[in-house]
Amino acid sequence: MRDKQDAVRSLFTTKSARVDTNRGDAYYQKLYAQCKARLAELKKFEPLGNRVELTEILSEEGYDRRDFMKWVSATTAMLMLPSFFEPLVAEAAEVMNRVPVIWLEFQDCAGNTEALLRSDGPKIDEIILEIISLEFNETIMAASGHQAEAQLHDAMDTFKGKYLLFVEGSIPTGAGREWCTIGAGGETFEEHLHRVAKDAAAIVAVGTCATFGGVPAAAPNPTGAVGVMELVKGKPIINIPACPANPANMVGVILHYVLTGEVPELDSLLRPKFAFGYRIHDNCERRAHFDAGEFVEEWGDEGAKNNFCLYKMGCKGPMTFNNCSVVRYNESVSWPVGVGHGCIGCSEPNFWDKYAYERPMADANIKPPTGGVEKTVDEFGLGVLTATAIGIGIHAAASAAAGKKSDDGEEK
Amino acid sequence: MKKVEYQNVKRMTSTGRIIHWVNAFAIVAAVITGLYIAHPYYQTFIADPAVDKYVMAWNRWIHFIGAIILDVTSIVIAYLYFFSRFEKPYKKLIPTTKNIREFFAVLGNLLTLNRHKNFDSSHNDSFNTVYFTILHLMLVWMLLTGLQLYVHGLESGISSIGSWWPALLHLATDWTIPATGGTLMDVRISHHEMMWWIVAWTMFHIYYQIWRTIYWQEGDITIVFGGNKFVKKEK
Repeated sequence: MRDKQDAVRSLFTTKSARVDTNRGDAYYQKLYAQCKARLAELKKFEPLGNRVELTEILSEEGYDRRDFMKWVSATTAMLMLPSFFEPLVAEAAEVMNRVPVIWLEFQDCAGNTEALLRSDGPKIDEIILEIISLEFNETIMAASGHQAEAQLHDAMDTFKGKYLLFVEGSIPTGAGREWCTIGAGGETFEEHLHRVAKDAAAIVAVGTCATFGGVPAAAPNPTGAVGVMELVKGKPIINIPACPANPANMVGVILHYVLTGEVPELDSLLRPKFAFGYRIHDNCERRAHFDAGEFVEEWGDEGAKNNFCLYKMGCKGPMTFNNCSVVRYNESVSWPVGVGHGCIGCSEPNFWDKYAYERPMADANIKPPTGGVEKTVDEFGLGVLTATAIGIGIHAAASAAAGKKSDDGEEK
Repeated sequence: MKKVEYQNVKRMTSTGRIIHWVNAFAIVAAVITGLYIAHPYYQTFIADPAVDKYVMAWNRWIHFIGAIILDVTSIVIAYLYFFSRFEKPYKKLIPTTKNIREFFAVLGNLLTLNRHKNFDSSHNDSFNTVYFTILHLMLVWMLLTGLQLYVHGLESGISSIGSWWPALLHLATDWTIPATGGTLMDVRISHHEMMWWIVAWTMFHIYYQIWRTIYWQEGDITIVFGGNKFVKKEK
């Protein structure tokens, strides 16, 4: 009964993606004071494992103070804070190595780690992610086996209740979950996640696999893969979907946490609104061609050469909430739509089944909820119309053959 | 042969007929433009730069205007279902013994190709009222899912007519996301699929009215044009 009431309540109070970008002076003044106190508190601590200073590493990479401050203004704007927060954001970036991070990896392609590691010429976002106090990350750590286990144990013990847990990859919960184990103890991914999540301050699910199950959860989902929020309850969870998640958004979340000690404002899918409050479509550079009805009809045609809209090639920008079209990837160099391929909706739930079919929804084969043969919605619709037409045809033919008859049953 | 005399019966008010044709044209416009929005099926043959030809934008505009007209008439029809001074259709929807019997009598008349006609065909019958109500429920679903798709463009929470508009839309339609399957695409699929059911509904509706006209011989098709039909009065 209570479950039912809760279900109804949650159904009708689903939080939307609505973004409140101006909360008034009183709110921001209060937040400013709170952030200042929080940073003063953090500065009392020595940097954790990673003692590299941000200013040093930035100058080594060839960034001067001016570049850094430009980044600070952009990040402040991205976090939807007023410009007088800029000095605080700069300070927060400098003390980010005081916040311990544990990074776990489950069923995925390590694409989010790769996105950070393989960028040519790290941008400031990526440098900052390198200087965070990353206490544990299976993919890039030197230790292995029992040493790695011991390190995780140490990190969890030392920073109990204080560390941010980053999770990459989905967690198998169905048949075959026992094939995905970690460590000599043969701990399943699910047990491992629960153990490390228990003492985390907050959990950041990075990438679409960790947030919504992603590609491993695509139909028929053989491993019963789910995202973190399906399993972990009673902890603040922040989802940063996309495939891979944009490093700018990861830094944004950590910065927000460092600044305020709280998770940023989230939408109904637990995605930070500063990054997922708008559709890709709204700020797309090809939007004018969408409105004009100028579409790429096939790869490499005149439209493609002239940067026409990719909607007919299956672009899902109009249904996908993310800031790719603003923040872009790889030092804001480019992004999928920029290089001529439509959005595949990788930051939405069930994107592989529902978005990434490379054609408009009306032409896509969609599995009916009841199972059975995949059909496009239009094929299904034409089937409905055909059935109606056949029914009408049979009835009309039978009526014509039977002839007119009056209510008293007499042939006229 | 018996002598048959006909009596004129009023069946639709002029308001009702206006609503019917406004609905019909709005649905046709929404289907034509909706199919374009789902999959742009013609090319833009206008030799202007992108900035002023607006083919998709005009299609979407016509789709929204058609939708808003349907939304307004839906509200009027919902009101008239209960408070019409001419005929209150809700009375034909209450599952009383009389209505259920009439429903199956009319259905039986259709299925037996007019061999049996044991009901009073002078007034709006239970079967047709249920059939019309199905259309209106489908239109309500289109209204809710359509406004959900529409409000995605108003994420800022502001609009030129005030912030109450997106807030109202979120409050009224956000539940369609979990109801259709949990993603924004499910809402879109549902919206598109329901269009086909409405087209199928229309096909049968037109056929059935013509069939009635031919086989009942009471001029039913004229109801929607002149508001009247004729009922046989036996002498």
